[in-house]
Amino acid sequence: MNHKKKIKLLKKISRSFLTYGLLAMILSVIALYFITKYIIKDETEESLNSQAFRIEKLIEKEGVPINVHPIINTQEVKYIGTQRIKDTILYDPAEEELEPYMELITYKKINERAYKISVRTKVVELYDILQAIILSYIVILLTVFLAQYYLSRKNTALVWKPFFNNLKKIKTFSIQSNKAINLEETDIEEFSELNTEIKTLTNKVISDYQNLKQFTEDVSHEIQTPLANIQAKIGNLFDENQINEKQYNLLIEISNNARRLATLNKKLILLAKIENQQFKTSNQINFTNILKKSIESFEGLNKVPILTREMEPLEINGDPYLAGIIADNLLSNAIKYTSSEGEIIIKTTTNEFIVSNSGEAAIKNPEKLYDRFYKENTTKKSLGLGLAIVKKICDNYGYTISYTFSNNMHVFKLTFN
Amino acid sequence: MKILIAEDEITLQESIIKFLNRDAHICETASDYYEAISKVSIYEYDLILLDINLITGNGLDLLKLIKKEGKKIPVIIISANNSLDDKVEGLDLGADDYLTKPFHLTELNSRIKAVMRRGKYDGDSNISFNEIKIKTDAMQAYVNEKPIQLTKKEYDLLVYFITNKNRVLSKEVIAEHLWGDNIDTVDSFDFIYVHINHLRKKLTDVAANYIRTVYRIGYKFMDEDM
Repeated sequence: MNHKKKIKLLKKISRSFLTYGLLAMILSVIALYFITKYIIKDETEESLNSQAFRIEKLIEKEGVPINVHPIINTQEVKYIGTQRIKDTILYDPAEEELEPYMELITYKKINERAYKISVRTKVVELYDILQAIILSYIVILLTVFLAQYYLSRKNTALVWKPFFNNLKKIKTFSIQSNKAINLEETDIEEFSELNTEIKTLTNKVISDYQNLKQFTEDVSHEIQTPLANIQAKIGNLFDENQINEKQYNLLIEISNNARRLATLNKKLILLAKIENQQFKTSNQINFTNILKKSIESFEGLNKVPILTREMEPLEINGDPYLAGIIADNLLSNAIKYTSSEGEIIIKTTTNEFIVSNSGEAAIKNPEKLYDRFYKENTTKKSLGLGLAIVKKICDNYGYTISYTFSNNMHVFKLTFN
Repeated sequence: MKILIAEDEITLQESIIKFLNRDAHICETASDYYEAISKVSIYEYDLILLDINLITGNGLDLLKLIKKEGKKIPVIIISANNSLDDKVEGLDLGADDYLTKPFHLTELNSRIKAVMRRGKYDGDSNISFNEIKIKTDAMQAYVNEKPIQLTKKEYDLLVYFITNKNRVLSKEVIAEHLWGDNIDTVDSFDFIYVHINHLRKKLTDVAANYIRTVYRIGYKFMDEDM
């Protein structure tokens, strides 16, 4: 079994939508930031260059340096330097404070004289533009993203609807009802394929189950009939009164084995029926009465005393026939495994049934106690099915059975809810 | 008594006939559903032993037919199917008893006699054997008109003995009749001896001798003179 944590399909789809959408959003905002910044810088440089060019022409025409503080500054120099762009901080008289500027410094030879031309532009404005662009981008993106998210959620739910409806139907499907599953048709090819496969599978399971049930019944019939023949033939041989003791003992052996086989067959069929959940009755039943009848039915057969000291009325929900089986099997188990000096104590409370019987030591393999054909003591002629049947009934009806060994007593406790 | 055995298993038919013939019953057989239907509609029977799984049909349908026609014939179902549903359905449809295969012939014999004793078939509900008399509707036994106190098992044992008189009953057969499947809990049936002895004591001196011990085999209920 895969024990991975389970998440709802719709949640999973929207979660991945959210994760990847947000990631794409963040990445595109970063990209937009750098691209816009590059473009702005590039455009600013171009505009500074053209400004410097126009100033150069103006100096050429006027013959004097031009100064407009803080954005234009020209002065005569001795040597021609290299053109460069740098960021700088200058005092802006209009704002009356220091402001960051971008500055282009270029050297030109105009009318045989060398000039250093500095043109500047305020950086703050550039960043304002950048900020505005990024912000509006984020707003647009978020709006689109949320709308998309909401729509896709609705759409996904709509697309998967037949799937969820059919899932509900599959959950209510019962193998015993012998009714084919009726799934909702859909125009989605994959879902339609899934439906076809599920229909094929469930039909197969239903027919297998019916076959198995039929097989169990047939086997029962086919085995019981030859056993009936054996038993009847032996009966007639006894009746004819013409057999000696030795032959008689052989016949008794055969007869006993036939009976053993018949009992085994009956118990296996009962076990199969419980497993196939062919018992559906669940009534309020008086377990104490059933128990009393069961104790009576062992009367004269048990060599050890069956003591019933504390018998509170016990009402349970279940099948009266199976409740009888529980009482019979636990009693017969106790009788089988109690030595002739021991005793059996039966107790009921308002929700428990307890059978204790004397013993010398705890059972060696308590975990195997409810296995089919498990025998703690191989010298006993037990079939090893009684407790397995009790356990199966308990599992089907939600009763719990426990085994403990205390004060030299084996204690089986059944708890009903 | 005329008995129809509707059973598709020929071997079993033969065994039942052989056993019942010793009690001077007349047995006829039907080996499939249609034979059973035609025999039931033509002849009169005192009792029908009906197998549910007849090759060509369901014994329960035959039972419905018999009851529909208002025939007052006792029916005992003998079926390989131990399922409770079948048992309940069979009895609901009006069968008088339901016997699961495999069974002892002595058990079948005792069930037949129990059914015949029922008031609805105008049978005599009393059983008697020389000085022993049993009123089955009151579950009370008498020896020389004097009531004797028996436990439930002792009473069952006495009825079983008398209904199967002159037949050898092994310890196993007796135990199975009295305790059914519960005899699984014991490894030996020697304890039957104790119960037989109790019964003998209660039956007083004369009647006690009817229960004969068949050495190391079992018991036989028979008249002293035989």
